[in-house]
Amino acid sequence: MLYEVRHTTTYSYARSAAFSQHLLRLTPRETDEQRVHATRIEIDPRTEAITAETDMFGNRAHVATVSRPHGALTITATSRVERQAPSQFIFEAGAPWEQVRDQALGRGNAPPVPAAAPFAFPSEMTKADDAIRAYAAESLAPGRPLLAAAMELTSRIYTDFEYVPGATGADTLPAESFGAKRGVCQDFAHVMLAALRAFRLPARYVSGYLRTLPPEGQPRLEGADASHAWLAVWDPVFSWVDFDPTNDIVPGLDHITLAWGRDFADVSPVSGLVVGGGPQTLSVGVDVKPLSAEAA
Amino acid sequence: MVLSGPIAAAERWLSLSPRGGVHHEAMAPDGSVRPHWRGLIGWMEAAGPEGLAATARELERARAESGIAFSLGPDASTAADPLPVVISATDWQAIEAGIIQRARLAEAALADVYGAPEQGHGRLLSEGILPPGMIYGSRAFAAHCAGWETPPARYTYVYEADIARTASGEWVVLADRLDAPLGDGWQIANRIATSQSFAEPFLDLGVRRVASHYARFQELLDSLTGWEGRLALLTGGERDPRFFSHAYLARYLNAALVEPGDVTVREGAAFVKTLDGLKKIDVMLRGVPDVSVDALHRQRTAAPGAPALSLAVRSGALTLGNAAGSSVLAHRALAPFAHAIAGRLLGEDLTLADAPCLWLGDPAAQEELRAGPLGTGPDAWSIEPLTRRRRADDPPAPVEAAALEALFEDDPEAHIALRIPALAETPVLRDGRVAAAPWMMRVFACWTGEEWSVAPAGVAAEIPPGGPIPALGFGKDVWVLANADDQPSEPSRSLLADRLATGHLRRTGRDLLSRVADEVFWLGRNTERAEATLRLLSVCLRRYLSGNRIDADPELLLRIVSTHATERPDLTPPQAFRDAVRRLVNDEAEPFGLPATLSALRSGAVRARMSISEEGWRYIDRLSSDPRWREGLDLRQSAELLRLIEDAVRNLAAFSGAAQENLTRNYAWRFLEIGRRIERGMEAARVAERLAGGELPNEESTLRAWLVISDSSSAYRNRYMMMPRAAAVLDLLVLDEANPRALAFQLTRLEAVLAELPKDGPYRRPEHRRALSLLTELRLLDADTMAQTDDDGVRRTLAGLMSRCRKDLSEISDLLGRGFFAHSEVPVALQHSGRAEHEGPIGRERG
Repeated sequence: MLYEVRHTTTYSYARSAAFSQHLLRLTPRETDEQRVHATRIEIDPRTEAITAETDMFGNRAHVATVSRPHGALTITATSRVERQAPSQFIFEAGAPWEQVRDQALGRGNAPPVPAAAPFAFPSEMTKADDAIRAYAAESLAPGRPLLAAAMELTSRIYTDFEYVPGATGADTLPAESFGAKRGVCQDFAHVMLAALRAFRLPARYVSGYLRTLPPEGQPRLEGADASHAWLAVWDPVFSWVDFDPTNDIVPGLDHITLAWGRDFADVSPVSGLVVGGGPQTLSVGVDVKPLSAEAA
Repeated sequence: MVLSGPIAAAERWLSLSPRGGVHHEAMAPDGSVRPHWRGLIGWMEAAGPEGLAATARELERARAESGIAFSLGPDASTAADPLPVVISATDWQAIEAGIIQRARLAEAALADVYGAPEQGHGRLLSEGILPPGMIYGSRAFAAHCAGWETPPARYTYVYEADIARTASGEWVVLADRLDAPLGDGWQIANRIATSQSFAEPFLDLGVRRVASHYARFQELLDSLTGWEGRLALLTGGERDPRFFSHAYLARYLNAALVEPGDVTVREGAAFVKTLDGLKKIDVMLRGVPDVSVDALHRQRTAAPGAPALSLAVRSGALTLGNAAGSSVLAHRALAPFAHAIAGRLLGEDLTLADAPCLWLGDPAAQEELRAGPLGTGPDAWSIEPLTRRRRADDPPAPVEAAALEALFEDDPEAHIALRIPALAETPVLRDGRVAAAPWMMRVFACWTGEEWSVAPAGVAAEIPPGGPIPALGFGKDVWVLANADDQPSEPSRSLLADRLATGHLRRTGRDLLSRVADEVFWLGRNTERAEATLRLLSVCLRRYLSGNRIDADPELLLRIVSTHATERPDLTPPQAFRDAVRRLVNDEAEPFGLPATLSALRSGAVRARMSISEEGWRYIDRLSSDPRWREGLDLRQSAELLRLIEDAVRNLAAFSGAAQENLTRNYAWRFLEIGRRIERGMEAARVAERLAGGELPNEESTLRAWLVISDSSSAYRNRYMMMPRAAAVLDLLVLDEANPRALAFQLTRLEAVLAELPKDGPYRRPEHRRALSLLTELRLLDADTMAQTDDDGVRRTLAGLMSRCRKDLSEISDLLGRGFFAHSEVPVALQHSGRAEHEGPIGRERG
């Protein structure tokens, strides 16, 4: 499946801003199931400097600085990405969760697993409270394969939570959205990460896009898509397996991965600082356009 | 020398009070004074209780003098025990070697934790020497600093350790201070104060100096900044309890003292915002915790106005000491695994052990702690955060089983249990008598380019059995004795005094920080505002006390005081006057009142104190910290109030004198002057406007009052030798360019100083043009026109002109703000974009 993804972010300032600096995580990663054919970032007004850096999780980030007065700023990231179907797993064949934990953290005789260990601990935005811990415990019967438990948690969150845009904010912590049993995909991903990490199970936050299909008989609307978030869980044999609690599915051809980290703060697609400018308004448009129906 | 004769028998005040089985610094187990203590004990013996008490008072005074100059609050803890701790050359050798090894250990461990595996790092984690929870379970871990293609040349440039000697005589480490140490300012100030007060024994014992240690650090910093480069010390500002040390050290090392909001990162380099635009910083000593210095990568915890500092470090343009991320191994994070890390990374055995410390992320440690006991007593385990001291806003340390289990469940990785063993004792002064108490000390090390150097000194404090470790500011000075065989390689004369004396030789001029220009400007304005209110109150109180029927007429007094106090038409004149005085002296909500003005004056002076002279600062401090302001004085104690006000006027005059005499005519001085002239001009215009409101009852008395308030009565007498007349008074107070209180004089000075500010192009700056036009207008006016009244007795020309003067002066103030202080505007976070809000693949509604 070949896609062209365009992600446009526009800040408008009430007054002219003297200076702004932006951290962009808008470049899709290469994965076993995803090839990036082309990717570019354009900024208007033109920046004096844009530098690229790779973070410890392997994500490609850019820092852009505009130090001329500007009333508005538009960041457009365009990528052509080819997505392949993921492998199929039998989750019941995965390793028991206790074993995954001990292996990832090096609690046995073997040393810890460097790829998994950074994701096993509660981060600032994935701290569990007693309620979340108890919720997780229901799916973590002793000896149960972690992937099976993760699939069950995915379904439970899908069933137990209400999808309500605007009910939570970018800084909402899982204890709050768990208490209210509502939120958006970021909140669901954080809740599930908090649940797993309360037991020190390695799981990571994935930021990306989801192709939306128009209602039958209607044309696809440009720019009506949005960025998406889900999570991936580690297993010693199957490595990282994606779960999407917002849709109760294992991500496949419709999901395009941008970046991953411990939580939203590690991979927030666009963030930054501004000097002057006064009140700001932000508008975001995402367009996920399928270029071919078949994987090349 | 064995303690016998006088000490053992009669002089009970000098009892060293050894306790059996506990190492005593000054006394050997056989009851003799240890050789390295003989000099000090002998001196104390000779000085006697009175001599020692006098020395202690002198030390207290010396500490207060240096402490007060840099601290906002009374918490400068100048009340530390006066008696130094003497350390023998042999003991020091062991400490020095242990501290150097530990600093190397911290550097190697940080490089391993943050370095890329491809470059041979990451061994501690991948080999299971350090459990992953120690790093990844810690909020101090800086993920954005990990795995750089080009890591920083070093992670650590300064290192401090809290160490203590156990009761059995072993040295142990209580805490590693890696994040933002820079307590050196305390150590230097403490040493200066102690060496002056205890001059005789200090010199006689040949105590080792710290100057050459800091000279080596300075050399390294100079080589890192290069000939043209800039060194900055990043501080959290006056509200930071460590501000004293930061300000002191910055002055000592010739570093620009900057706050996060003064710094901006552009094109991969860090710049400081000055009057003359952005200036590159090459080396920055970091006195602000690393979680607060990067607004781009750590938005949630960044300090207000912080820049994206790690961009400049990652590009290699900025050397940051210590590196961002170093807090991950700070405090007690190294302790539980220090032996193993030293073995793996240094190939050495650890020479300086840690006080018993258990990492709670380890199930075995949890098991041990369940057996207790918990708390702060001796033998008890106290639960503390892993990478920093416990703060007042942290949840209390668990002492009961349930709370402990909850912590094991919730966040064990970020905590340790510390047990402070029974400690050795050292002489302390208690109620004028010498006693013994358990103690610990902080020692200071810095990188010098090829090796670590440990300052042969320290700051010591008493520590209660079992802890907690006290917050150290001033403390007991630690005297390290030279080895008798050593050639004196250190200069016998301290370099410190020389350096501090030349502290004002800093590169000034246009390098003035925009923020500081702003602060100095407001300091000037507040000085004048305070003076105006004080003079007004002084005249009113004098008249009130005189009982003179005309001069003390309540209606007249009320009219005078109302130029500064909010009016209360509901009260009778005597009541209203009484109330206005009370509010001006005691009410914090009164806009021109003394509480608001003096507190703005003091905090402004604290912020700007690096730019004003030491002496000038002291006058402001003395004036605004006078305890009598808090006594709620009012008209009932008018004589006492008057004395207080006149003291304050004198201190302000002394401050102005110090500013005129002691400040070089740099940009800081100019902005102080501009602030003063603007405020004094506004004050003159305000008074003149009052006089424009038509024929005054008791006009002669009112005019006389204004002449006194503006300190111009002798000038008037000399010139006119007659009863005050409106035209003549107005001439003197408004138009006379030779009278330092006149409006025209303020505008002349203002115009002259504004003309010296940097220009963007060939033309005068807008605020300069405004001042020039105002001044010209005044110069073209004569006193009679100004004093002319219309049929209602109102001086319309005067009223119009004065109100425009005030408006224009206030606009000049705004224009300056926009033109020169705009750089001091700080960045704010942008809203998060891309907040993931996605519904479902087919846009279906969810139930």
